[in-house]
Amino acid sequence: MGVPRTQWAPLPLEGRGWGWGSFNGSPHDPHPGALCAPTLPASGRVRAPSFAAAAAMILLVSPAFAHTGEGTGGFLAGLSHPVFGPDHVVAMVAVGLWGAFLGAPAIWLLPIVFPLVMALGGVLGIVGAPLPAVETGIASSAIVLGLMVALAARPPLWVAVVLVGAFAIFHGYAHGKELPDGANAVAFSAGFVIATGLLHLTGIAFGLLARWPVGRLAVRGAGGMIALVGVAYLSGLA
Amino acid sequence: MIAFANGATQFFAPTHLLAVVALGLLVGQQARLPVIPLAALAAGLAAGSVVVASAIRDNPAAPALLVLAAIAAGLTIIARPLPSWAAAGLGLAIGVALPLNAPPQEFTVHAAIVAQLGFALAAILAFALVTRVATLARVPWQRIGVRIVASWIAASAILVLALRLAR
Repeated sequence: MGVPRTQWAPLPLEGRGWGWGSFNGSPHDPHPGALCAPTLPASGRVRAPSFAAAAAMILLVSPAFAHTGEGTGGFLAGLSHPVFGPDHVVAMVAVGLWGAFLGAPAIWLLPIVFPLVMALGGVLGIVGAPLPAVETGIASSAIVLGLMVALAARPPLWVAVVLVGAFAIFHGYAHGKELPDGANAVAFSAGFVIATGLLHLTGIAFGLLARWPVGRLAVRGAGGMIALVGVAYLSGLA
Repeated sequence: MIAFANGATQFFAPTHLLAVVALGLLVGQQARLPVIPLAALAAGLAAGSVVVASAIRDNPAAPALLVLAAIAAGLTIIARPLPSWAAAGLGLAIGVALPLNAPPQEFTVHAAIVAQLGFALAAILAFALVTRVATLARVPWQRIGVRIVASWIAASAILVLALRLAR
Protein backbone atom coordinates (compact mmCIF):
# COMPACT_ATOMS: atom_id res chain seq x y z
CA MET A 1 0.00 0.00 0.00
CA GLY A 2 2.99 2.26 0.51
CA VAL A 3 3.61 2.39 -3.21
CA PRO A 4 1.48 5.07 -4.86
CA ARG A 5 -0.55 3.96 -7.86
CA THR A 6 0.43 5.46 -11.13
CA GLN A 7 -1.76 7.71 -13.20
CA TRP A 8 -2.06 6.09 -16.66
CA ALA A 9 -1.37 8.99 -18.90
CA PRO A 10 1.35 10.00 -21.35
CA LEU A 11 3.92 12.18 -19.69
CA PRO A 12 4.95 15.53 -21.17
CA LEU A 13 8.67 15.81 -20.58
CA GLU A 14 10.26 19.19 -20.27
CA GLY A 15 10.79 20.31 -23.81
CA ARG A 16 11.31 16.77 -25.10
CA GLY A 17 7.86 15.63 -26.11
CA TRP A 18 6.46 12.38 -24.72
CA GLY A 19 8.49 9.90 -22.69
CA TRP A 20 8.42 6.80 -20.54
CA GLY A 21 7.18 7.11 -17.02
CA SER A 22 8.34 4.74 -14.33
CA PHE A 23 6.87 1.34 -13.49
CA ASN A 24 5.37 1.56 -10.03
CA GLY A 25 7.06 -1.66 -8.93
CA SER A 26 3.90 -3.28 -7.62
CA PRO A 27 3.27 -6.94 -8.55
CA HIS A 28 -0.35 -5.88 -9.09
CA ASP A 29 0.57 -3.37 -11.74
CA PRO A 30 -1.99 -3.99 -14.50
CA HIS A 31 0.28 -2.85 -17.30
CA PRO A 32 3.90 -3.55 -16.43
CA GLY A 33 6.19 -1.82 -18.86
CA ALA A 34 3.37 0.12 -20.43
CA LEU A 35 3.74 3.73 -21.43
CA CYS A 36 2.75 5.48 -18.23
CA ALA A 37 3.53 8.37 -16.04
CA PRO A 38 4.08 8.43 -12.30
CA THR A 39 1.92 10.55 -10.07
CA LEU A 40 2.71 14.13 -10.88
CA PRO A 41 4.27 16.17 -8.11
CA ALA A 42 2.69 19.36 -6.88
CA SER A 43 4.66 21.38 -9.38
CA GLY A 44 3.06 19.43 -12.19
CA ARG A 45 6.40 18.93 -13.95
CA VAL A 46 8.73 15.98 -13.81
CA ARG A 47 12.33 15.94 -14.88
CA ALA A 48 12.83 12.57 -16.52
CA PRO A 49 16.30 11.28 -17.23
CA SER A 50 17.46 11.94 -20.77
CA PHE A 51 18.00 8.23 -21.48
CA ALA A 52 14.26 7.70 -21.05
CA ALA A 53 13.56 10.09 -23.88
CA ALA A 54 16.26 8.44 -25.98
CA ALA A 55 14.84 5.00 -25.26
CA ALA A 56 11.39 6.19 -26.21
CA MET A 57 12.68 7.53 -29.51
CA ILE A 58 14.46 4.27 -30.28
CA LEU A 59 11.50 2.10 -29.36
CA LEU A 60 8.77 4.19 -30.89
CA VAL A 61 10.25 5.03 -34.26
CA SER A 62 10.33 2.53 -37.10
CA PRO A 63 13.34 2.14 -39.39
CA ALA A 64 13.13 3.79 -42.80
CA PHE A 65 13.34 1.06 -45.43
CA ALA A 66 13.45 1.89 -49.11
CA HIS A 67 11.04 -0.91 -49.95
CA THR A 68 8.20 -0.64 -47.51
CA GLY A 69 5.54 -3.24 -48.05
CA GLU A 70 7.71 -5.62 -50.07
CA GLY A 71 7.93 -7.98 -47.13
CA THR A 72 6.48 -11.30 -46.25
CA GLY A 73 2.94 -9.91 -45.85
CA GLY A 74 2.51 -9.53 -49.58
CA PHE A 75 4.22 -12.83 -50.23
CA LEU A 76 2.08 -14.76 -47.76
CA ALA A 77 -1.07 -13.08 -49.04
CA GLY A 78 -0.13 -14.12 -52.57
CA LEU A 79 0.79 -17.60 -51.43
CA SER A 80 -2.60 -18.10 -49.79
CA HIS A 81 -4.56 -16.37 -52.57
CA PRO A 82 -5.10 -19.37 -54.91
CA VAL A 83 -5.69 -21.72 -51.98
CA PHE A 84 -8.90 -19.91 -51.01
CA GLY A 85 -10.46 -20.41 -54.44
CA PRO A 86 -11.44 -24.09 -54.68
CA ASP A 87 -12.18 -23.76 -58.40
CA HIS A 88 -8.61 -22.54 -58.92
CA VAL A 89 -7.18 -25.22 -56.66
CA VAL A 90 -8.81 -28.18 -58.37
CA ALA A 91 -7.86 -26.90 -61.84
CA MET A 92 -4.20 -26.46 -60.78
CA VAL A 93 -4.12 -29.94 -59.27
CA ALA A 94 -5.74 -31.29 -62.44
CA VAL A 95 -2.93 -29.82 -64.55
CA GLY A 96 -0.39 -31.71 -62.44
CA LEU A 97 -2.46 -34.91 -62.47
CA TRP A 98 -2.84 -34.83 -66.22
CA GLY A 99 0.84 -34.07 -66.71
CA ALA A 100 1.79 -37.05 -64.54
CA PHE A 101 -0.73 -39.20 -66.41
CA LEU A 102 0.69 -38.21 -69.80
CA GLY A 103 4.29 -38.70 -68.65
CA ALA A 104 7.37 -36.96 -70.03
CA PRO A 105 7.60 -34.37 -71.47
CA ALA A 106 4.08 -33.26 -70.51
CA ILE A 107 4.83 -33.85 -66.83
CA TRP A 108 7.22 -30.87 -66.81
CA LEU A 109 6.05 -28.98 -69.89
CA LEU A 110 2.52 -28.31 -68.62
CA PRO A 111 3.66 -26.85 -65.26
CA ILE A 112 6.04 -24.54 -67.18
CA VAL A 113 3.52 -23.49 -69.80
CA PHE A 114 0.75 -22.80 -67.29
CA PRO A 115 2.40 -20.01 -65.23
CA LEU A 116 3.84 -18.34 -68.33
CA VAL A 117 0.49 -18.21 -70.14
CA MET A 118 -1.20 -17.36 -66.84
CA ALA A 119 1.08 -14.32 -66.65
CA LEU A 120 -0.07 -13.24 -70.09
CA GLY A 121 -3.67 -13.66 -68.94
CA GLY A 122 -2.75 -11.61 -65.89
CA VAL A 123 -1.47 -8.84 -68.17
CA LEU A 124 -4.85 -8.82 -69.90
CA GLY A 125 -6.55 -8.51 -66.53
CA ILE A 126 -4.22 -5.73 -65.39
CA VAL A 127 -4.69 -3.61 -68.50
CA GLY A 128 -8.43 -4.23 -68.32
CA ALA A 129 -8.78 -5.94 -71.68
CA PRO A 130 -12.26 -7.40 -72.04
CA LEU A 131 -12.41 -11.16 -71.63
CA PRO A 132 -15.87 -12.69 -71.53
CA ALA A 133 -17.02 -15.45 -69.19
CA VAL A 134 -13.93 -15.60 -67.02
CA GLU A 135 -15.60 -17.51 -64.19
CA THR A 136 -17.18 -19.87 -66.71
CA GLY A 137 -13.75 -20.45 -68.21
CA ILE A 138 -12.25 -21.23 -64.80
CA ALA A 139 -15.06 -23.67 -63.92
CA SER A 140 -14.80 -25.21 -67.40
CA SER A 141 -11.08 -25.74 -66.89
CA ALA A 142 -11.81 -27.92 -63.87
CA ILE A 143 -14.46 -29.86 -65.83
CA VAL A 144 -12.36 -30.41 -68.96
CA LEU A 145 -9.06 -31.14 -67.24
CA GLY A 146 -10.78 -33.33 -64.67
CA LEU A 147 -12.49 -35.30 -67.44
CA MET A 148 -9.18 -35.67 -69.28
CA VAL A 149 -7.77 -37.35 -66.18
CA ALA A 150 -10.91 -39.35 -65.44
CA LEU A 151 -11.11 -40.67 -69.01
CA ALA A 152 -7.33 -41.20 -69.17
CA ALA A 153 -7.26 -39.13 -72.36
CA ARG A 154 -3.94 -39.10 -74.19
CA PRO A 155 -4.14 -36.45 -76.90
CA PRO A 156 -1.00 -35.26 -78.77
CA LEU A 157 1.28 -33.09 -76.65
CA TRP A 158 0.49 -29.90 -78.54
CA VAL A 159 -3.23 -30.38 -77.89
CA ALA A 160 -2.59 -30.74 -74.16
CA VAL A 161 -0.35 -27.66 -74.17
CA VAL A 162 -2.89 -25.55 -76.08
CA LEU A 163 -5.75 -26.71 -73.84
CA VAL A 164 -3.87 -26.00 -70.60
CA GLY A 165 -2.58 -22.70 -72.00
CA ALA A 166 -6.07 -21.59 -73.02
CA PHE A 167 -7.45 -22.25 -69.54
CA ALA A 168 -4.41 -20.58 -67.95
CA ILE A 169 -5.49 -17.31 -69.58
CA PHE A 170 -8.75 -17.33 -67.59
CA HIS A 171 -7.00 -18.09 -64.31
CA GLY A 172 -4.35 -15.43 -64.98
CA TYR A 173 -6.98 -12.87 -65.94
CA ALA A 174 -8.80 -13.38 -62.63
CA HIS A 175 -5.54 -13.09 -60.69
CA GLY A 176 -4.43 -10.03 -62.66
CA LYS A 177 -7.64 -8.23 -61.80
CA GLU A 178 -6.97 -8.80 -58.09
CA LEU A 179 -3.25 -7.99 -58.12
CA PRO A 180 -2.60 -5.30 -55.48
CA ASP A 181 -1.05 -2.03 -56.51
CA GLY A 182 2.20 -0.68 -55.13
CA ALA A 183 5.31 -2.26 -53.75
CA ASN A 184 3.48 -5.37 -52.50
CA ALA A 185 2.81 -6.48 -56.06
CA VAL A 186 6.15 -8.24 -56.55
CA ALA A 187 5.90 -10.27 -53.36
CA PHE A 188 2.20 -10.98 -53.92
CA SER A 189 2.63 -12.15 -57.50
CA ALA A 190 5.67 -14.27 -56.59
CA GLY A 191 3.62 -15.81 -53.80
CA PHE A 192 0.66 -16.74 -55.92
CA VAL A 193 2.77 -18.00 -58.82
CA ILE A 194 4.69 -20.22 -56.41
CA ALA A 195 1.42 -21.41 -54.84
CA THR A 196 0.14 -22.25 -58.31
CA GLY A 197 3.32 -24.20 -59.02
CA LEU A 198 3.10 -26.04 -55.72
CA LEU A 199 -0.48 -27.06 -56.52
CA HIS A 200 0.79 -28.44 -59.84
CA LEU A 201 3.47 -30.36 -57.97
CA THR A 202 0.81 -31.71 -55.60
CA GLY A 203 -1.10 -32.99 -58.62
CA ILE A 204 2.05 -34.47 -60.12
CA ALA A 205 2.92 -36.21 -56.84
CA PHE A 206 -0.56 -37.71 -56.60
CA GLY A 207 -0.58 -38.51 -60.31
CA LEU A 208 2.57 -40.60 -59.96
CA LEU A 209 0.37 -43.16 -58.20
CA ALA A 210 -0.94 -44.00 -61.68
CA ARG A 211 2.05 -46.31 -62.11
CA TRP A 212 0.15 -48.90 -60.07
CA PRO A 213 -3.28 -50.27 -61.06
CA VAL A 214 -4.98 -49.24 -57.81
CA GLY A 215 -3.28 -45.87 -57.94
CA ARG A 216 -4.47 -45.44 -61.50
CA LEU A 217 -8.04 -45.89 -60.32
CA ALA A 218 -7.46 -43.39 -57.52
CA VAL A 219 -6.03 -40.81 -59.94
CA ARG A 220 -8.91 -41.25 -62.38
CA GLY A 221 -11.35 -41.00 -59.50
CA ALA A 222 -9.69 -37.76 -58.41
CA GLY A 223 -10.11 -36.47 -61.96
CA GLY A 224 -13.81 -37.28 -61.79
CA MET A 225 -14.11 -35.44 -58.48
CA ILE A 226 -12.37 -32.41 -59.98
CA ALA A 227 -14.80 -32.42 -62.89
CA LEU A 228 -17.73 -32.56 -60.43
CA VAL A 229 -16.36 -29.57 -58.52
CA GLY A 230 -16.18 -27.73 -61.83
CA VAL A 231 -19.80 -28.65 -62.59
CA ALA A 232 -20.82 -27.39 -59.13
CA TYR A 233 -19.16 -24.03 -59.82
CA LEU A 234 -20.56 -23.79 -63.32
CA SER A 235 -24.10 -24.53 -62.18
CA GLY A 236 -23.87 -22.13 -59.26
CA LEU A 237 -24.17 -24.84 -56.60
CA ALA A 238 -20.78 -23.87 -55.12
CA MET B 1 28.49 -2.34 -38.60
CA ILE B 2 24.84 -1.28 -38.42
CA ALA B 3 25.19 0.48 -41.77
CA PHE B 4 26.69 -2.70 -43.25
CA ALA B 5 23.79 -4.78 -41.91
CA ASN B 6 21.27 -2.21 -43.13
CA GLY B 7 22.79 -2.34 -46.59
CA ALA B 8 22.78 -6.15 -46.62
CA THR B 9 19.15 -6.21 -45.44
CA GLN B 10 18.16 -3.75 -48.12
CA PHE B 11 19.14 -6.27 -50.77
CA PHE B 12 16.45 -8.71 -49.67
CA ALA B 13 13.60 -7.10 -51.57
CA PRO B 14 11.51 -9.30 -53.89
CA THR B 15 12.47 -7.39 -57.04
CA HIS B 16 16.18 -7.84 -56.31
CA LEU B 17 15.75 -11.49 -55.44
CA LEU B 18 13.83 -12.20 -58.66
CA ALA B 19 16.65 -10.76 -60.77
CA VAL B 20 19.55 -12.32 -58.88
CA VAL B 21 17.92 -15.75 -58.53
CA ALA B 22 17.07 -15.77 -62.25
CA LEU B 23 20.67 -14.87 -63.12
CA GLY B 24 22.02 -17.51 -60.74
CA LEU B 25 19.78 -20.20 -62.22
CA LEU B 26 20.86 -19.25 -65.74
CA VAL B 27 24.58 -19.29 -64.96
CA GLY B 28 24.28 -22.49 -62.91
CA GLN B 29 22.31 -24.21 -65.65
CA GLN B 30 25.02 -23.40 -68.18
CA ALA B 31 27.37 -25.39 -65.90
CA ARG B 32 30.29 -23.09 -66.40
CA LEU B 33 32.58 -21.57 -63.85
CA PRO B 34 30.65 -18.48 -62.82
CA VAL B 35 33.78 -16.33 -62.66
CA ILE B 36 32.97 -14.06 -65.61
CA PRO B 37 29.29 -13.46 -64.70
CA LEU B 38 30.30 -12.98 -61.06
CA ALA B 39 32.94 -10.44 -62.03
CA ALA B 40 30.42 -8.72 -64.29
CA LEU B 41 27.87 -8.60 -61.47
CA ALA B 42 30.47 -7.18 -59.07
CA ALA B 43 31.59 -4.60 -61.64
CA GLY B 44 27.97 -3.63 -62.23
CA LEU B 45 27.34 -3.29 -58.51
CA ALA B 46 30.37 -1.02 -58.20
CA ALA B 47 29.29 1.07 -61.18
CA GLY B 48 25.72 1.28 -59.92
CA SER B 49 26.93 2.37 -56.49
CA VAL B 50 28.94 5.16 -58.06
CA VAL B 51 25.96 6.25 -60.16
CA VAL B 52 23.58 6.16 -57.20
CA ALA B 53 25.84 8.66 -55.44
CA SER B 54 24.65 11.23 -57.95
CA ALA B 55 21.23 10.81 -56.35
CA ILE B 56 19.16 10.19 -59.44
CA ARG B 57 15.66 9.93 -58.03
CA ASP B 58 13.22 8.68 -60.63
CA ASN B 59 15.25 6.10 -62.48
CA PRO B 60 13.73 3.07 -64.19
CA ALA B 61 15.77 0.57 -62.14
CA ALA B 62 12.78 -1.43 -60.87
CA PRO B 63 11.19 -2.13 -64.28
CA ALA B 64 14.67 -2.74 -65.69
CA LEU B 65 15.30 -5.37 -63.02
CA LEU B 66 11.98 -7.03 -63.82
CA VAL B 67 12.77 -7.09 -67.55
CA LEU B 68 16.23 -8.52 -66.86
CA ALA B 69 14.73 -11.13 -64.50
CA ALA B 70 12.22 -12.15 -67.17
CA ILE B 71 14.98 -12.39 -69.82
CA ALA B 72 17.27 -14.46 -67.58
CA ALA B 73 14.38 -16.71 -66.53
CA GLY B 74 13.24 -17.08 -70.14
CA LEU B 75 16.73 -18.14 -71.22
CA THR B 76 16.76 -20.65 -68.35
CA ILE B 77 13.42 -22.10 -69.46
CA ILE B 78 14.68 -22.49 -73.04
CA ALA B 79 17.84 -24.15 -71.67
CA ARG B 80 20.02 -23.67 -74.74
CA PRO B 81 23.81 -23.17 -74.57
CA LEU B 82 24.65 -19.48 -74.40
CA PRO B 83 27.82 -17.56 -75.23
CA SER B 84 29.58 -16.46 -72.06
CA TRP B 85 29.14 -12.79 -72.92
CA ALA B 86 25.35 -13.15 -72.69
CA ALA B 87 25.32 -14.14 -69.02
CA ALA B 88 28.07 -11.60 -68.32
CA GLY B 89 26.05 -8.85 -69.98
CA LEU B 90 23.00 -9.75 -67.95
CA GLY B 91 25.12 -9.81 -64.79
CA LEU B 92 26.54 -6.39 -65.54
CA ALA B 93 23.12 -4.90 -66.25
CA ILE B 94 21.55 -6.42 -63.12
CA GLY B 95 24.55 -5.27 -61.09
CA VAL B 96 24.10 -1.67 -62.24
CA ALA B 97 20.34 -1.67 -61.69
CA LEU B 98 20.41 -3.16 -58.18
CA PRO B 99 22.00 -0.21 -56.31
CA LEU B 100 19.98 2.25 -58.38
CA ASN B 101 16.82 0.61 -57.06
CA ALA B 102 18.02 0.78 -53.46
CA PRO B 103 19.81 4.01 -52.60
CA PRO B 104 21.50 3.82 -49.18
CA GLN B 105 19.44 5.21 -46.30
CA GLU B 106 22.44 6.38 -44.27
CA PHE B 107 23.17 9.97 -43.26
CA THR B 108 26.93 10.13 -43.64
CA VAL B 109 29.02 9.38 -46.72
CA HIS B 110 31.11 6.84 -44.80
CA ALA B 111 28.02 4.97 -43.58
CA ALA B 112 26.52 5.05 -47.07
CA ILE B 113 29.66 3.47 -48.54
CA VAL B 114 29.64 0.79 -45.85
CA ALA B 115 25.94 0.15 -46.53
CA GLN B 116 26.65 -0.22 -50.24
CA LEU B 117 29.39 -2.72 -49.43
CA GLY B 118 26.90 -4.72 -47.36
CA PHE B 119 24.35 -4.54 -50.18
CA ALA B 120 26.89 -5.70 -52.76
CA LEU B 121 28.13 -8.53 -50.58
CA ALA B 122 24.58 -9.77 -50.00
CA ALA B 123 23.88 -9.68 -53.74
CA ILE B 124 27.09 -11.53 -54.61
CA LEU B 125 26.53 -14.17 -51.92
CA ALA B 126 22.93 -14.73 -53.03
CA PHE B 127 24.06 -15.07 -56.65
CA ALA B 128 26.87 -17.47 -55.70
CA LEU B 129 24.51 -19.58 -53.59
CA VAL B 130 21.84 -19.90 -56.27
CA THR B 131 24.45 -20.58 -58.95
CA ARG B 132 25.98 -23.31 -56.82
CA VAL B 133 22.61 -24.96 -56.20
CA ALA B 134 21.73 -24.79 -59.91
CA THR B 135 25.14 -26.22 -60.83
CA LEU B 136 24.48 -29.21 -58.57
CA ALA B 137 21.26 -29.98 -60.46
CA ARG B 138 22.53 -32.83 -62.64
CA VAL B 139 19.72 -35.38 -62.50
CA PRO B 140 17.03 -34.75 -65.16
CA TRP B 141 14.24 -34.01 -62.68
CA GLN B 142 16.49 -31.54 -60.89
CA ARG B 143 17.24 -29.74 -64.15
CA ILE B 144 13.50 -29.67 -64.86
CA GLY B 145 13.02 -28.19 -61.38
CA VAL B 146 15.40 -25.37 -62.28
CA ARG B 147 13.34 -24.62 -65.39
CA ILE B 148 10.07 -24.73 -63.45
CA VAL B 149 11.39 -22.26 -60.85
CA ALA B 150 12.57 -20.07 -63.73
CA SER B 151 9.05 -20.16 -65.19
CA TRP B 152 7.69 -18.93 -61.85
CA ILE B 153 10.20 -16.06 -61.86
CA ALA B 154 9.37 -15.13 -65.44
CA ALA B 155 5.64 -15.18 -64.72
CA SER B 156 6.02 -13.02 -61.60
CA ALA B 157 8.27 -10.54 -63.40
CA ILE B 158 5.90 -10.26 -66.39
CA LEU B 159 2.89 -9.70 -64.13
CA VAL B 160 4.49 -7.00 -62.02
CA LEU B 161 5.99 -5.32 -65.05
CA ALA B 162 2.55 -5.15 -66.63
CA LEU B 163 1.14 -3.77 -63.39
CA ARG B 164 3.79 -1.04 -63.25
CA LEU B 165 3.27 -0.04 -66.87
CA ALA B 166 -0.52 -0.18 -66.73
CA ARG B 167 -1.24 1.67 -63.45
